[in-house]
This record gives sequence, C-alpha cells and structure tokens, in this order.
Amino acid sequence: MNRGREIHLVGLSHKSAPVAVRERVALSGDALKEALVALQVATGVGEAVVVSTCNRVEVYVYGEPAAAADAARRFFLDLAPEANGHLYERGGGEAVRHLFRVASSLDSMVVGEPQILGQVKEAYGLASAAQSAGAYFSRLCNRAFATAKRVRNETEIAKGAGSVSQVAVELVEKIFGDLRGRAVLLVGAGKMGALSAKALRDLGADRILVTNRSPERARALAQEIQGQPEPWESLTSLLALSDVVIVSTGAPTYVITPALLAPVMKVRRQRSVCFIDVAVPRNVDPALAGMSNVYAYDIDDLQRVVSQTHAARAGEAVRAEAIVEAEVMAFLAERESRAALPVLAAVRRRAEAIARAEAERTLSQVGGKLDEKGRRSVEAMAQAIVNKLLHGPTSRLKEAAASGDSSLPGAAAELFGVESESAENPPNERRPPGNDPEPPAAPEPRS
Amino acid sequence: MSIQVLRLAAFLYLGAATAYVLFFARPRHAVLATVGQWLLGAAFLAQGVSIGLGCREYGGTEFFGLRGGVVTATWLATGASLVVQRMYRIPSVGAFITPLVLALLLPTIVAQRLDRPEVVPETVRAPAITVHIISASLGVALFALAAGVAVMYLLQEREVKGKRFGALFSRLPSLEALDQLNQRLVRAGFVVYTVALVTGTIVARVVWKSAWTWDPQQVSSLVIWALYGGLVQLRHTGWHGRRFALLTLVGFALVVGSRTVINLVPGATRHGGTYK
Repeated sequence: MNRGREIHLVGLSHKSAPVAVRERVALSGDALKEALVALQVATGVGEAVVVSTCNRVEVYVYGEPAAAADAARRFFLDLAPEANGHLYERGGGEAVRHLFRVASSLDSMVVGEPQILGQVKEAYGLASAAQSAGAYFSRLCNRAFATAKRVRNETEIAKGAGSVSQVAVELVEKIFGDLRGRAVLLVGAGKMGALSAKALRDLGADRILVTNRSPERARALAQEIQGQPEPWESLTSLLALSDVVIVSTGAPTYVITPALLAPVMKVRRQRSVCFIDVAVPRNVDPALAGMSNVYAYDIDDLQRVVSQTHAARAGEAVRAEAIVEAEVMAFLAERESRAALPVLAAVRRRAEAIARAEAERTLSQVGGKLDEKGRRSVEAMAQAIVNKLLHGPTSRLKEAAASGDSSLPGAAAELFGVESESAENPPNERRPPGNDPEPPAAPEPRS
Repeated sequence: MSIQVLRLAAFLYLGAATAYVLFFARPRHAVLATVGQWLLGAAFLAQGVSIGLGCREYGGTEFFGLRGGVVTATWLATGASLVVQRMYRIPSVGAFITPLVLALLLPTIVAQRLDRPEVVPETVRAPAITVHIISASLGVALFALAAGVAVMYLLQEREVKGKRFGALFSRLPSLEALDQLNQRLVRAGFVVYTVALVTGTIVARVVWKSAWTWDPQQVSSLVIWALYGGLVQLRHTGWHGRRFALLTLVGFALVVGSRTVINLVPGATRHGGTYK
C-alpha cells in the first residue's frame, strides 16, 4: 500500500555549500514550522522533517517521489536561488542511510561530535509539534536515534577531544574542575586565543581579562569576547590573579619566562596556574613546565591530542558504518514486510467474507435441523478452511517481503484479485484503525 | 561467630573492590560504581556487626591490640569513604580505597583468635579509653583516605604535566578537587587525632601513673601529630598540590611504619594489651 510513496532527501551541508549559502536557508522556530506545514501541503504528503544546523540544512519528505522531491527542492530555491548547484539528493534507502549517518555524527565536520544527535532530535520534535511528522518519520527517527545511541555506546567514536580549543578546555577542566569564580587572562590578540577564551567562558569562567601591547587592540578584542581590557604594563599583577593564561601574541620570543613567573608564584601562594600557548613562534618558555604547580602547553601539545583523537575516530568510524548499515537494512526489511501486510490483509478479508457467506448460506438451508452447537461447528469449519489454506501463502509472502522481494506480494494481489481493494485504502495515517499497516508509533519522548 | 561475619564482610569487600576496579577500567558502565557502592555499604554493615559480636565474645579486649585497631580503622575508613562518595560523587576513589581496606583486613581473617576472653582491668574501663580507641582509629582511617587521594593526585599530576593523556586522564576527578579533598581529609584527621592524643594522655595518667613516659608509642604519636599539624599550617602558607600530596604520603608512611616497628619489637611499648 506504501508502494508509490518513498522517502526523499534534498539538502546541503558544509561539504557541498559555503556558509554564505547555508546561512540563507537555515530556518528556526516559527519560520521553520511554517515551512514544514508548507512542505506538507505542497507534497500532498503528510510528512516532512527539516534538520537545520549551522553545518547543514536537510529536508526529508515522505510521499509520491516526484512531488516530494520537487517540494523539497523548492524549499531551498525559494529561500536562496544560489543554493542551486550545492544541493544533493537521496531517495529511498539512500536517504534512510544518510539520516542514520548524520544522527550518528558520521557526516559531521568533526566526526563523533556529540551535538548533532540532539539537533536531529530537536528537528524531529519540531516536526512532530507542527504535525508534519507522522507514523513514517516516527519510526524512521526513532530508529535513527537508536542507531546513534548504538554507535556511541559500541564504538569509541565520541571519545577524546576533537578540536584544539576543546583540548584546551579539557585540560583546564582536568586541572581546575570547573572555572566558576576564576579569571582567564588572554595575552595577545590572536584569533586562536580568542576562540579558546570563548570556550573557557562556556565552562563558567567569570572574568576574562584581555591584555595586549597595543591598548586599542586589547579594547577591541575585549569588546568582541565580552572581556575586560587591561594595560600591558600590569602583566605580572594580572598573572598573579589569573588561573588560566592563554598566550597568543605575535612576539618572536618568549613572553612568559620562569624568571618572570617565579615572583608571581610567590604572590599566588603557589596556587596552580595553567598556560596555553597557541602562538607560533612560541611565547611561553617550555622550561615553565618544570616549575611546581605550573602547567604549560603549546600548540603542538594540543594538536597532537587532536590528531590522536582523529586517528582513533577514523578507525572507529569503520565500525560505526557497519552498525549504520545493519540498522538501515533492518529498517528497510521491516518496512518491506510491512508493505506485504496490506495484500495479506486484503486476501484474508476476502477469504473470510466468502467463508462467512457460504456458512450462512449452508445454515439457512439446513440450519433448522441443527442445534446451537452444530451451527457453531459449521462456522468454525469454514474459518478453519480459510486459515489452513492461507497459512502457506502468508508465511511465504512475509518471507519474500522481508528479503526485499516485492514482486511476490504484487503477484499475490493479482492472483487473488485484491488489487482494487487495496487501492481503496490510501496510505495515510488518518485511516480508521484496523486497516493501518503502520500503527503510528508513540513519538520519541523529548530528552 | 564474629570471625565468620568478618569473613563474610571480607567477601563483600572483595566484590566491591572488583566492581570498583572494573568501573575504573570501563567507566562507561556506571552501574558498576553503583554496585560497588552497595556492596561496600553491605560490607560496612557486616563488619559493624562483626565488631559488635567481637565485643560480646571477647569483652572488648581485642580492641586494645593492633589487630582490633586495624579492624576498627578499616571499618571507619570504609565509613568515611562512603561519606566522601556521597558528598563528592567521585566513585573512582573506590578503586583505590577498597582494595587497600581488603588488603589490611586479610591478615586478620586468617589469623587465629584468642582462645579465651581476657579480663580487662577496671582501671582501663574508663570512658576516656573508649573515646581514645575510636578517635585514634578514625584519625588513622582519615589519614589512610588522605594518602589514597594523594596517590591519585600524584598519578594524575604526572599525566597532566607530562602531556601524556593516558588511561587515568579520563577517569579521575580534577587535580583541584583531589587537592581540596586531600586537604579536608588531613584537616579532619588532624582534629580527630588530637582528640586521640589527649584522651591517650589521660588514660596513660590513670594506667601508667604518668602522663608522659617516653613510651615509643607516645613519642611516635606526638611526631605524627606534629607532622600533620604542620601540614595543616603549611596549607596557609601556600603548600599546594604535589608537595602537599607527597607530605601526606610521608605522614601516612610514618603512621604505618611506626606501628609496625613498635609491634615487631617485643616489649618495646606498654601500649595496647600489656596492662597486666
């Protein structure tokens, strides 16, 4: 009964389109809800989900292939004509696989990053709320979430820190726990340093102090990252009150040396301090690492951790792909066997109707000579003949459907003459219960 | 009877230690930490029952010797670590403390017991001695926990500083948290140990007729007390992290070492048991 309806995906991502295009088509909140409803109407479908993050915008629709694909394409071209040429399309099983890979963070810019699953869940939640996601997407998305969970639990793809600033944050977390009530000092105005400072603010650092040889640049940067500009001359006193120091000046020599830091540590009463040197050439003397309660890392140290993580993740990705593949196959097989159900149901309905009619006819002729028990025996016999006759075809049809063979259900429909009957039940989740080959699954609980 | 219950407790400790160590190896399985905590709680209860039974059977005499002291100290260390885990939620501590407790208990559960209960003289049966035994055991238990935490700190510090982010890196709490926990345990242990020292002096005056007799036990206790007192003070002058952790280990080594040496030399001390 679902023959004729297919899932279709049209999207663009960091792999296919520059940010200038991505930001034009990224929708959120009410605008996205409206777009979902419009998609639903345009396809005459009933089902649509839009995954919209800063790295990707993907429209998943479920309906008549041509209309659905067209509606999804128009979604992009109406928002940004320049998206043309950056779009990719997948249909059927390919689209299912793509969604599973996206949810499992295998298609992400940083493979294994943990946010994407939450974003896909959010996308599905929004579509459910807008009532553009029905029974099909309920099953598909729940399967995608389960796949992502399996990937995360059974592989180590999400382990380790994936970017330099994430490594910096993890190090700082390992040394200080959380950063509440602590000050972060940013020395110099490099871009890398600003990024790390922002990451540390997210960790809870209350104060971000910014200092630079040029006071104007210190002020500008402080404004950008909501820090507090400080004069370069007071560097030593700033060091005394900061716990994390990010250094990224353009200076060709060491700015922070043991000779400079020794008196500072006395003032600090030996409280731990962590230096993160993201400058090239290095600004923090590596000899600092020898001082007690001083932790110093340069860009190579951080980069090494990142590349270890990436290497480990690449290995894990192979195992993750296998899990995704198995889940896609399971989902499609389950669907195929569901597709055979309507034919079976129609055949059974017809057979039972004939049996009932014949039993009634017999009973009306000889019923007078039978008591209640005898009449029930006749009805039971008719039912039993139906069951025995249909048992073999039923199990073979289910087998054929589960192994992806859709020709047998078609042949069966023709053979039993139920084609017309099944066409009377359009595949729509608002059908009366009982004829529904896809009982609407409960929507995923929002986590 | 008490020894059977103690053996049961040892089994529960073994289970808890196994669960904690497995959790340490596979932190993804958080259920292991919960299992470990429940088993540790059960072991704590069982050991408590065993101590109660022991008091009935031997009239409290066994707690005047080293063996009873060790049993009590391990029991209190377990209790303290359960409290610490409730307060700080760092189950990886269990992987360090529980095996230590088990190792300390092992000699006791295989050893022979006293054949007949000894009689405790009336002079010793004062409230002060009860307080003394409990506070001394608890003090040592807290010092033991502090030492365990110090080991965790030093291992972790070596990894963080050496830029080798190995197995420990993802499994231990932050250095700051460990340092702070260590400091609190040392401070609490010092306070409790002070109580033990004062009550010990009171008991000595009653039993030995003199508050200070240069008994090796008294001398070593005073040295240990001074060391931990110094540690508490040094904290205020900026002793943090590595050096503090090392000194904590030195302190605990002194606690264990002095007791072992004194007990190895027969008749070196009149402390504990030789009150006839």
